[in-house]
Amino acid sequence: MEAIELLQVIPDAFGGRELSGSEVWQAKQTFRRGELCLIEAVSGAGKSSLCGYLYGYRKDYRGTISFDGQAIRQWGRAEWRECRNNHLSILFQDLRLFPELTASENVRLKNRLTRYKSEEWIRAAFERVGIADKWEAPVGKLSFGQQQRVALIRALCQPFDFMLLDEPVSHLDAANSRIAGELLSEEVGQREAGLILTSIGLHPEMKYSKILRL
Amino acid sequence: MNLIGKLLRSHLSIAQLTGFFIANLTGMVIVLLCIQVYADLRPLFGDNDGLMRNNYLIVTKKIGTLGMLTGRNSSFSPEELEEIRRQPFIKKAGIFDASRFKVTAGIVFQHIGFSTEMFFEAVPDEYLDIQSPEWHFTPGGRTIPIILPRNYLDLYNFGFAQSRNLPKMSEGVIGLMRLDIRLSGEGRQGEFTGKIVGFSNRLNTILVPADFMRWANQTYASHAQPAPSRIILETNLSGDAEAERFLKANGYETDQEKLEAGKAVGMLNRITFVTGAVGMVICILSVYILMLSIYLLLQKNSTKLENLLLIGYSVSQVASPYRRLTWALNTAVLLLAVAAVLWIRSLYIPWLTESWSDFKPASLSGMLTASAGLCLTVSILNGFAISRKIRKLS
Repeated sequence: MEAIELLQVIPDAFGGRELSGSEVWQAKQTFRRGELCLIEAVSGAGKSSLCGYLYGYRKDYRGTISFDGQAIRQWGRAEWRECRNNHLSILFQDLRLFPELTASENVRLKNRLTRYKSEEWIRAAFERVGIADKWEAPVGKLSFGQQQRVALIRALCQPFDFMLLDEPVSHLDAANSRIAGELLSEEVGQREAGLILTSIGLHPEMKYSKILRL
Repeated sequence: MNLIGKLLRSHLSIAQLTGFFIANLTGMVIVLLCIQVYADLRPLFGDNDGLMRNNYLIVTKKIGTLGMLTGRNSSFSPEELEEIRRQPFIKKAGIFDASRFKVTAGIVFQHIGFSTEMFFEAVPDEYLDIQSPEWHFTPGGRTIPIILPRNYLDLYNFGFAQSRNLPKMSEGVIGLMRLDIRLSGEGRQGEFTGKIVGFSNRLNTILVPADFMRWANQTYASHAQPAPSRIILETNLSGDAEAERFLKANGYETDQEKLEAGKAVGMLNRITFVTGAVGMVICILSVYILMLSIYLLLQKNSTKLENLLLIGYSVSQVASPYRRLTWALNTAVLLLAVAAVLWIRSLYIPWLTESWSDFKPASLSGMLTASAGLCLTVSILNGFAISRKIRKLS
């Protein structure tokens, strides 16, 4: 997948509201593979809605979103599954981890499906982001910041052309945020993938190719 | 380790599954027991004609005093035959073709010569309850295969032979004996050898092949074939009561005992059907419990299921732990139910063997096929329902 295009897209919830200054809603916007894009927004501007539309689990919008020229609104279960397994990865704002599984099991659950990363890589990643001691801990017992790091590692356990991150470092301190940003840059760079990251303030320091206002 | 299994196992209600297990086991045992008992008992009601026996009735017209005096015809007219054939409970109707020539049969047995005038009758082969390779006749042949009513053999063995200290005869011995048969009529005469090829429970007459009868009547009789006075009907098993009403209304007579046997069979059918239906209902309800229980489980796990689908799992991957659960439960129920039926059967078989000397246990195949069929159907339906529910959730 090379490009994600948004054409006159607006969430249904916005109704007839006049939007001023948004570079994403009711505009023509293209995200290209290889570009790192930061989308800054205030609360309620529709960050999570945008991620939901792009990841295909929400369809409450008007306008057209297309992947490589193909409108995604009509996609069926099989197309989405293929896309989510090979071309598009996401870090949900609410993480969507399984609290009854351990941190490592949560990551393995994804990696078992794609067989993309080795056990060693996963362990090293845990080490790197500072949660190696949480390997066997049930995710339900971890702090949100720790959970964010587990979810980030899980999101990296697959091939992708684009990665969506919905406030990935909202609960991380500056040092951890920097480490997460480095890991992210490496992985995205290796895959020559595009990155779409939303933030209401805190975001990892990366070399963004463009910064948009939602 | 199966992570999906581990993830989705939570919220599993052992109490609900136990409820399903017991209910389904009960229903399954009732259904299977019905099938097996029916298979075992059925031959006892059916003249030994086998499990898939059809009902045969031999029908004549009533010979009343008034009819004798007025010369009222005791044979069936073509219109009457047509009307009988039209009845919904009649599968088919055949006529008895009687010999219209003189028949004399003689036998010499242990130095006692014995000769008598007699008659032959023939029915189409499809009404016979005896299968014999010798049952055929080609014009010019000298051997006539004959089927006698089993009553004759019993009459001889238990009445005549016993009182005269004569040896009792088995079917095999009789099959070796030859009868000297002389046919005459139209100024012609013929010598034949009669060979008894079997004994019929169904047809109470001296039978020869229809081919022979046709040939002999052409050769030794002049007048045309008269209207038949006896006919044989094949009825639907369930049509006995109707048949009885119809025959009575038209003044026809039949072998009452057969109708009684038919009624007993009807009763057996009905009892088995009702009990089986109750068992089926219990089964269906239990499967319903299982489905409700699994639906509840899916509902409780709906967020997890949705998340699994979102991180790239397919519906069938997510459904597989639930499918495996239903398969395991259904298979366990199947095995236990079959075991229970076999055990109950081992209790009633000795009793039946004692009560009926000629009782032969039926095969288990019907029951086993039904059980496997039920288990498969239920599990496959469960599988579909689970996938559908998961698709709806996401």
